[in-house]
Amino acid sequence: MQFKKSDLPKILDSMAKEATVLAPMKVKGNSKFAPWGTEGELDFGAQNVLLPPKDCLFPQTEKMYRFETDGLKVNDFEVINESRPTVLFGLKGCDMQSILCMDDVFLTKGYVDDFYKKKRDDLLTVCINCTTVAKECFCDSMGGSPNGHAAADIQLYDLGESYQVKAQTEKGQKAVDSWQQYCNKDEGEIKEIACELKVDMDGVPEKLAGMFEHPIWEEISRKCVGCGICTFLCPTCYCFDIDTTKDGAEGTKFRCWDSCMFSEYTRMAGGHNPRPSKKERVRNRFLHKLEYFKERYDKNLCVGCGRCVAKCPVNLDITSFIDQVKEVASHE
Amino acid sequence: MSQMQEELRQKAKELLEKGEVRYIIGWGKGRFHHRPPIFIYQAEDVDKLVWDEYCVANLGKYLLDDKFPEGKIGICVRGCDSRAVVRLVQDKQVKREDVCLIGLPCTGKVDQEGRELVKCRDCMHRNPPVYDIVLGEPVEEKGNPDRFKRVEELEKLSSDEKYEYWSNVFDKCIRCYACRNVCPACNCRECFVDQYRVGWQGKQKNCMQNQIFGLTRAYHIADRCIECGECERVCPVGLPLMELNRKLIKDLNSLFGPYEAGVNPDVKPPLGEYRLEDPEEYM
Amino acid sequence: MSLEEQKQVPENWEPTILAFCCNWCTYAGADLAGLNRMKYPENVRILRVPCSSRVNPQFILRAFQKGVDGVLVAGCHPGDCHYVSGNYFTRRRFLLMQRFLEYNGIDPRRFQARWISGAEAGKFRDTMLQLCEEIKELGPNRKLREVK
Repeated sequence: MQFKKSDLPKILDSMAKEATVLAPMKVKGNSKFAPWGTEGELDFGAQNVLLPPKDCLFPQTEKMYRFETDGLKVNDFEVINESRPTVLFGLKGCDMQSILCMDDVFLTKGYVDDFYKKKRDDLLTVCINCTTVAKECFCDSMGGSPNGHAAADIQLYDLGESYQVKAQTEKGQKAVDSWQQYCNKDEGEIKEIACELKVDMDGVPEKLAGMFEHPIWEEISRKCVGCGICTFLCPTCYCFDIDTTKDGAEGTKFRCWDSCMFSEYTRMAGGHNPRPSKKERVRNRFLHKLEYFKERYDKNLCVGCGRCVAKCPVNLDITSFIDQVKEVASHE
Repeated sequence: MSQMQEELRQKAKELLEKGEVRYIIGWGKGRFHHRPPIFIYQAEDVDKLVWDEYCVANLGKYLLDDKFPEGKIGICVRGCDSRAVVRLVQDKQVKREDVCLIGLPCTGKVDQEGRELVKCRDCMHRNPPVYDIVLGEPVEEKGNPDRFKRVEELEKLSSDEKYEYWSNVFDKCIRCYACRNVCPACNCRECFVDQYRVGWQGKQKNCMQNQIFGLTRAYHIADRCIECGECERVCPVGLPLMELNRKLIKDLNSLFGPYEAGVNPDVKPPLGEYRLEDPEEYM
Repeated sequence: MSLEEQKQVPENWEPTILAFCCNWCTYAGADLAGLNRMKYPENVRILRVPCSSRVNPQFILRAFQKGVDGVLVAGCHPGDCHYVSGNYFTRRRFLLMQRFLEYNGIDPRRFQARWISGAEAGKFRDTMLQLCEEIKELGPNRKLREVK
């Protein structure tokens, strides 16, 4: 079945009655997933939205619990774990894949993060295929595809004038059923596309495993400025820090995104820093993306969305890095 | 352009062969239109150096990674890079005799669509004010008559309008600290942001914390900002950070006389100095 | 919170004012005011600093952040600095800071600086009275304030 593109606002409106609908929107000059119905306009551009959707499952700053103290005694303690039904509408394949990576981290191997889980259970994912690709996109080299994602609850296909709808889970089917009034029979053909930028990941994780002490790290990290653009725009970077704000007897514990590119990130009590320079930090980021995560969860932690390639101020580019790794001799 | 690039490679080769510099910081070829900074150690690698309209990144800050070099560092400098080096020398981060400045008069850089960068549109020193070697012919300075225009527009707003404007700006900030990391005036060994135990800056991302970061940073570099516009260029969410810096520069000029940071290494930044006849408002 | 909501003044609201006072003059001036049984508003919290130039502009941002409604920096008259030239730097620094805060939407009356010597107990009291009155008129400060 399919519905006309002109009916899209109506469908979003109807969903927004029961849930927060996050759609790719241009808000004050920046594209991000923003609640439908707030200021901003829909933006289904070729380039992925600038800010990744991870914020809706794993907010940049998230309150965890509130407390009240009396001397050393805690009088009042309350976990804050709020969530409401949310729809992530118009995810691209790469961002959908990033949610699966986050699921692995926060829900598997015996560790279940309640804050994440609650939001994840409340989430309905609506994926859309890409009709054009940006020059920085390389998702099909990282195991994804610009033509949709099988793990989404609902997959939409852009047919030019309308969207073809495919419910892929029970939850998705339920939502699609409520769109019936806008839908009609399928016609038209789904066009498949491919990314222009290609990288060859074949054998890279295995090769990287023996390259911890390789001189390549020194070389590629020279130009890094050590900012957090790559990590904060990355849809899969999930590192966080936990901190407290306290005002008198009352306080709040919160967690917030942290970046392995910051010097403070690994600094220990007493001042020792096991990753003292850019070299170690860049190495950690790339190895985490391409090797460690693959070993542990059998997925690439880089989904090929191209955000860091597009936004890094000095073009410290993961795709060039992969090319380079293929070329260099793996000796130490 | 390509002739200058040839000259640059030639010069670089000469410097490296003669051993006058240990390595050269310049621009190389990146993935697309990008010209990321590169570090050339061998004379045979000089062909990796690129000089064209896409060489946008400011190189000065890389000197901080090698504060006690074995031998001189050669560095390609446009007007803004040259001022960045002066900034670092004045702040006693780098020794002037440790660097060899290869001056490259610049006619402005463009983004991938070929539009002139904002930082180049506003540039006041296309020729490097300080250099050891200069390549090519000096270019005409175009000045920037609109330097304070935007600041003046903002100054006309009411208090609440101003606050709302800046709240909206900082609400977008994602606190990646890219502005700080590329800024040649941000050369503190440890930034107040990273002094976690002291607690100047909360780690939570909200409008107020973002504002505290933005205002503190702007004020900290008030009299030392060289107007290279790198902070604005790298900002992934496009914050108009130079509007803060230019306000400070404008006020400094009107209060304590004209001053341009990073142009003359012998003139101290105004907040590190005083005169008895400074304006008096606190009687 | 919208700007309109922010403007609402709670019942029985009293301003909190933070005064950074130089140890060598203004703090002595405040002491003298006390000795002379001069009354000034209790809204003022005095924080003694070794010199007015000890006041880092970040202290002021921090004060607003933590809920102070007005800030005063007070030091020795030009020429009288215990450390010879500290207050000249203070002057430059805060002339600029005031304009900068105003540019960011903070009313300039919320952050002021004065020269008050150890003998000027009267001036100290008058300054505090005036400051307090101005801040009361402005209402509570919500700008730059920490959200709970």
